[in-house]
This record gives sequence, C-alpha cells and structure tokens, in this order.
Amino acid sequence: MNGRATGKSKGGLIAWLFLLPFTAFYTVYTIWPVIQGVYVSLHKWGLMGKQRFVGLDNYAKFLGDKHFWSSLGNTTKFAVISAPLLILLALTLALLANRPTKLKKALRVGYYLPSVLSVSVVSFVFKYLFSPYMGFVNGVLHAFGILAPGQEILWLTEGNKPWAVIVLVTLWWTVGFSMMLYISALQEVSPQIYEAADIDGASKARQLFTITLPLLKRTTYLVVMLQVIAAFKVFGQIQLITDGGPGTSTRPLIQYIYQAAFRNNDLGYASAMSYALFLILIVLTLIQLFIQNRRGEA
Amino acid sequence: MKKMTAGRLILNLASILMLVIFLAPLIWSLAVSIKTEGTPISNAWDWFKPPYTLENYPAVIGGTNVPMWTWNSFWVAAVVTVVSLVLSSLAAYAIAKLPFKGKQMMYVYFLLGLMVPTEATIVPLFITVNGMEMIDTFAGLIFPSVAGSMNMIIMVNFFKGVPDELIEAATIDGAGTMRIFSTIILPLSRTVMVTVAIFAFIGSWNNYLWPLLCAMSERMFTLPIGIPTLVGTYTVDYVIPLTANMVASIPAIILFIIFEKQITQSVALSGVKG
Repeated sequence: MNGRATGKSKGGLIAWLFLLPFTAFYTVYTIWPVIQGVYVSLHKWGLMGKQRFVGLDNYAKFLGDKHFWSSLGNTTKFAVISAPLLILLALTLALLANRPTKLKKALRVGYYLPSVLSVSVVSFVFKYLFSPYMGFVNGVLHAFGILAPGQEILWLTEGNKPWAVIVLVTLWWTVGFSMMLYISALQEVSPQIYEAADIDGASKARQLFTITLPLLKRTTYLVVMLQVIAAFKVFGQIQLITDGGPGTSTRPLIQYIYQAAFRNNDLGYASAMSYALFLILIVLTLIQLFIQNRRGEA
Repeated sequence: MKKMTAGRLILNLASILMLVIFLAPLIWSLAVSIKTEGTPISNAWDWFKPPYTLENYPAVIGGTNVPMWTWNSFWVAAVVTVVSLVLSSLAAYAIAKLPFKGKQMMYVYFLLGLMVPTEATIVPLFITVNGMEMIDTFAGLIFPSVAGSMNMIIMVNFFKGVPDELIEAATIDGAGTMRIFSTIILPLSRTVMVTVAIFAFIGSWNNYLWPLLCAMSERMFTLPIGIPTLVGTYTVDYVIPLTANMVASIPAIILFIIFEKQITQSVALSGVKG
C-alpha cells in the first residue's frame, strides 16, 4: 500500500510537470488580463499607469456615451449585413466547386486563395480597386459605359458605399473557410440519396431544395454563428480602408475601444467598454458551442 | 453517359465567372506591379497592356523593409506554432491520460479559456505585457499567442480516444511517461497535430490587433503592421504599394498551394469535430 501511494504521488508530480508550462502561459496571458481588466476598469488609468479609483464611473460613462452606442450599432449592422450574404456566397461557391468537373480543384483553390492573404494586403488592394480616378472598379465601369466620362463613384467616402466595400472585402477574404465547411458537409451526403431521387425523376433543382439544403441546415447554423462572432470582432479591414469614416459612420466597437485607450489615453474607460464586448461575445460563443454540441450528438 | 446539357454548361460558366471575379483583384495587383511607375492610365484595360517591367520587385525587396517584415511574420508564426504544439500537447496529455488530484478542476479551468475573446481583453493584456516590459519584443509578440486553450482542448479530446491498453502495455515494458508520450501518443495524433499547427500558423501570420499594439519599432513589425506604414507614404502612384503587397503575399500563396490539401482537410475537420 505504501508503494502504491508513492507511485501515485510520483504520477501526480509528473502530471503537474506536464501541465505547468502551459498553465503558466495560460494563466498569465489569457486568464489574468480578464481579472486585471476589471481592476483597471474601476480606475482612471493612463498609459503611464493608475491615476485614481473611480468606482463604476467608467461603466456609467459608456452607457451614456453616444459614440459607444453608434460604434456598437456599426458593428451590429456589419454582422447583420455580412452574415446572410456570407452564407449565400459560401453555399453557392461550395455547390459550384463540389460538382464533378475537371475544374473542381482549381475552383476550390481559387475561391479559397484570398483567405491566405493578410488583412493589410486585402484592405489595400480593395482600397486601390475602389479608389476614384485611378481605381480599377470605376475604370471598368467607364470602359463599359456604365459611368459617363468624367463621372466618378466615391466608393470610399460617400453615403453607405464604404459599407458596401467593407462587406465585399470581408466576403472575398473570409468566405473560403465557410465554403470548405459546406463542401465537407456536402461530401457526407450519401450519393445513394441522389440516385434514388434520380430514379424517382426528381429534377436537379428539386433535389437541391428538398435534399441538399435541408441536410446542410446544421452547417448553416454553425457558419452563421461563426460569422456573427467574427463580425463582432471586426476591426482590421475597417481601420485600414476607411479608418472608421467618413466621420465615424463605419467605426466598429473595437476601433472605438482602441482609440479610447491609445489615442485618448484612457485605458480604464477602454477596459470598461471591453466588458460590454466580452459579454456579447460570451453569449454568442455559448450559443455556438450549444449548436455545435447538439450537432455532435445527432 | 454525361453529356453536356445546357444546365451543366451554365453552371460551368458560372463557376468560371466566379473564379475570375475572385482572382481579379490579385491579377490586377500583379498587372500593376509589373508596370513602370508613372505610366499614364487612361482606361481600365491600360493596366494590363505592355510595356511590362520587373524592376519594381528588386526596388521593393532591396529598398524597403518588406523582406524584414516577411521574415518577422514567418519567424513569429513558426515559433508560435512550435511552442503552442509542445506546451498544449504536454498539458493535454496530462489531462487526458495521467492520474492526478484536481484533474477535473484543471480541465474546467482550461475550458474557461474558450470563453475569453482576446479582442475583448486586449487593453488589460497590453497593461500586463507592458508591466513585464515585453512591449516591442518578440517575447511580447509571441507569448500571448501560445496561451489560448483552444488547441489544448482539441488535443485533450483526441488523446482521450487513444486506448488505455496501449499505454498500459508500454508501461509494463518499462517505458516512462515521456517515452509513452513521444512514441505512442504523438505518432497516433499526427492529423490533429497538423490541423492545430496549420491554424496556429495562419492565425499568427494574419494576426493584426495584437502586433499593432505590441510592435512599436519598424524592426519588430510583422507584415500586417508594416505594410500600412509603407503604403501610407505613397499617395499618388499605385505601382510600388501594390508591388509591396504582392511581395508580401507571394510566400503565403506558394505555401498555400503546397499545403492546399492539408489546409482544406483541416478546415473540414474543424467543422466536423468543432
């Protein structure tokens, strides 16, 4: 019995040695900032450090800050617009690239390719594409006579057009991942189902709506949730293409938090607002995990 | 049996049209990058017309910091990938297979990490890393990226599936814990390791928000941070900025084409296993 006890405690020691390095990094860089953030948010805190305790003032402040609400509104708007379009595009591309043609491989590689580019590259390419006078898009519109000579569309600065560019660049850049999820779901569908439908004389279009799409429902839930979560984290492409402008009309929540911290030197306020984002993302993540687990059990 | 029906033809054309649209921004960037700076452009097709030149590429590679930033991006991504794989797999093995007190508690502690969105803790993370005097260092760039628990949880789930009998047999043969880990567990987990490695690498390669805060001096920049500072200095001509974009993208595109199969399989796996 003595021997077993030492054996077990030795096993315990080894286990902790295996755990220790990861646990140290995880605790310091993942968990500790969450706790530290609460402390920071209760203070007036600048880049040089703590200034004074302010209690819940920072929280009260953002609840009454119209810029906070407008940037949260922008982020929400982006999620609401981009998610359905992304689903539609991902599904279309997956169906096109899953057909048994010689092009199959080229299509998958081509549709996925933008996903491997960095956000800066993607943003600048689109910024140049949509620039007036020299930009390729206006150039093509002129070439086809859709735009009269001398007329320019101000994609990046006028009305809702910057949103169109931001949504387009996001779709182009990120749709590959969702397309792949759809393709792998499509491949799990047994070909016998389609053979049976063929024998019954169901048209391809009918098969798409009565067989394929219903079978993809779970994948669609997953893709929707992943996109909504990603949309609430949107920052890079907007900062690089419009810098939140014109005015503050495209500024997302993360950019406002970033500006509060590093432009206005108010890290306490930025931390308080971060918890609003935190709360939103936790709720969305829980929904996503719930959907994914249900998917696993089925 | 398969004849070219009208429907099939339309779908083929549609898929090629989408392909052209998807590649157009890159083809255009490539075309611009082989034009002489200052060539007058009077319509959209002029971008694609000769004369062509390759001299912009040496100008960008020799005259800007793009190669250094590319190297930084690679180096950081490679270290993040390796360190993350080693740390996460050791910890995951302990949780999945080793007996110790408090295992359930530790597992729940790591599960909490799945709930923490780094975007929402970026400000206190900056204060933490700043307090450790790691802002503007490679350690500061790398450490937070290996501290997420997602990879580790994926590995726990996978390691749990390795039959205990294999481990018991090796123990009877006198193999130690480390030996069992490296000769039984790791070889059996190749697929999941490749998946995790690919996502760790791509995640680091594309990371924007954290390097934006952490890398302050030019020599610490990764590509996503460096490119905007370079492009910002060219306000009129497109040639050099788009050449820089191409130089920054070509390594990633080549890697993608080489590892295309592994990458697409990894995405598929992530959807199935979550």
